[in-house]
Amino acid sequence: MPRIIAPMLAKLTGWLLLGIVRLLTGAQARWYGCPPKAEQRIYFANHQSHADLVMIWAALPEELRSITRPIAARDYWANTPFKRWITTEVFNAVYVERAATAPAAPAGAPAEPEAPLPPVRDAAAAPQPERIEPSMEPLLPMAPMAPPVVDITPEAFDEVQGRLDLPAPPPPPPPAAPLAVTPPAVEPEPAAPVSDPLAPLVEALRSGDSIIIFPEGTRGHTGEPQKFKSGLYTLATMFPEVVLVPAWIDNVQRVMPKGEIVPVPILCSVTFGAPIRVEEGEERRPFLDRARAAVIALREV
Amino acid sequence: MNQFLRSLTPTQQVAALFLIVFGLLVVVSTTAFFLTFKERRNPVHDAAWQAELAHYRKLLGTTWFMVIVFWVGWALGETVATVLFALIAFFALREFITLSPTRRGDHRSLILAFFVVLPIQFWLVATARFDLFTVFIPVYVFLAIPVASALADDPSHFLERNAKLQWGIMVCVYGMSHVPALLLLSFPGYEGKSAFLVFFLVFVVQTSVLVQHVISRRTQRKPFAPNVSRSFNWTSWGIGIVVASLVGALFSFITPFKFGQALAVSVIACIAGSMGHLVMKALKRDRGIPNWGKKGVGVTGANGLLDRVDALCFAAPIFFHSIRWYFNL
Repeated sequence: MPRIIAPMLAKLTGWLLLGIVRLLTGAQARWYGCPPKAEQRIYFANHQSHADLVMIWAALPEELRSITRPIAARDYWANTPFKRWITTEVFNAVYVERAATAPAAPAGAPAEPEAPLPPVRDAAAAPQPERIEPSMEPLLPMAPMAPPVVDITPEAFDEVQGRLDLPAPPPPPPPAAPLAVTPPAVEPEPAAPVSDPLAPLVEALRSGDSIIIFPEGTRGHTGEPQKFKSGLYTLATMFPEVVLVPAWIDNVQRVMPKGEIVPVPILCSVTFGAPIRVEEGEERRPFLDRARAAVIALREV
Repeated sequence: MNQFLRSLTPTQQVAALFLIVFGLLVVVSTTAFFLTFKERRNPVHDAAWQAELAHYRKLLGTTWFMVIVFWVGWALGETVATVLFALIAFFALREFITLSPTRRGDHRSLILAFFVVLPIQFWLVATARFDLFTVFIPVYVFLAIPVASALADDPSHFLERNAKLQWGIMVCVYGMSHVPALLLLSFPGYEGKSAFLVFFLVFVVQTSVLVQHVISRRTQRKPFAPNVSRSFNWTSWGIGIVVASLVGALFSFITPFKFGQALAVSVIACIAGSMGHLVMKALKRDRGIPNWGKKGVGVTGANGLLDRVDALCFAAPIFFHSIRWYFNL
């Protein structure tokens, strides 16, 4: 009996959720560079809120929704049974780990603009009047855990958690500083072996699904997306036949700022741009910058 | 003909009205459809002609949508009509807020506006508590919103942010709520026909806006306030008001008004509506956008709704209160 009921419940929840999302945000999809098409794709988008996942899921047409798997951070989306159920059954998401990187959390903070007063991360302190500022995750105790992070193939790792590869962590505790410098130096081959955080994504792509990733790794705090992590490049070189579609998710951070539980109705849209591809012999960094530019360009469309 | 219409019950009269309106729409839409086959010899002219036609077809689509909404609202009774207008107000406010910058500190005030103020206002309409309904937003809410904002502990641009939110509530919720309120006005000897009053208001206001739009397009006059609106000038405005008011006066037989009264309320409604349209244009210019729809693309339907209803939002309260005051209802 439950075998019949469970999928129906998931379907029903999906419809309900879709209705709510549309009522609140419109969940408008704007296909500019490419039509919605059932080919294998990697959608990569800017990341401003946990609700990004829901937005892009709701914006895709029904037919694509079933073959497209979004990426969900396990530490957020699997921390209650209900969230876990909804991400696996309704969104059909792929979990990625990022809990292990908690110690590096401060690096997710904006390095350049806020350097002088890093502890104050309240919205009130921010200068720009136009944007809502989702404040950063609370800083976690950071002393002991530095070494493990360096061990595990940083290359792939930082894509998923998106914390290591930033220019310079702001005011940071001594251990964090060297840590942040190391990963770019170590750079192993793109194809990362065992204990690879990209493994679930690779598996999803191998089985023919499309995926949605957020190459910034962490949620941005201003309108400008952060630097892209290299996972996108890794996946793109591993699966050259998969089409890479940039997407810009607009306004979601205003719907539900961090710490609030009731969303506010504000129109949001997802703009899909023209596909890009890794050119012959293109290096990792130029490609990632180009991908980021492609995403940003969609803001003005 | 007239005798026959008068012999019908109010319900049949309203039904006949909808029948006529749907008939007209079918005729116009069919004509527009066949016009698309017409080809101009000059390809440049042809493109322009097709674009113009597409523009009118879009307007027609909106008209169809609105008429169907009204029809459904009327057919299913006053409560459903009120809920429908509440939904329209909700979508309009959503658009308004989307394009006004908000900060994190506004979150609670926004929740208050959308999920508390809006339902209460329309509930007051549905239950015909007119004394409270007219003061609920200007008195209670306008004091409550800044309090919610102040409690959010964010002083920057405080007045600006609150003014925007209050203005949004005033236009989208307060203004819109007066349209279903017309359904509940009880003119002596006019029971069951209030739907005509709503139709009258919408029809007259939309006519004035449309006529004004067409005239200013045809006669390229110098705009009076070019920074706000490139099409607004007193001549076409005046023509719009006169035409729409005369049309309104001709339709006085569907209202409880006499010819002169219908003319007067039409003038009032048209002036309020067209000026409201202008005010909303100023707001849009300030936000740097040509219309409320997101960059001209409306796939989900609700976009650009505010463009269509802003005149109504300004005309409805003035229309409502002036007739309520004059007829002592």
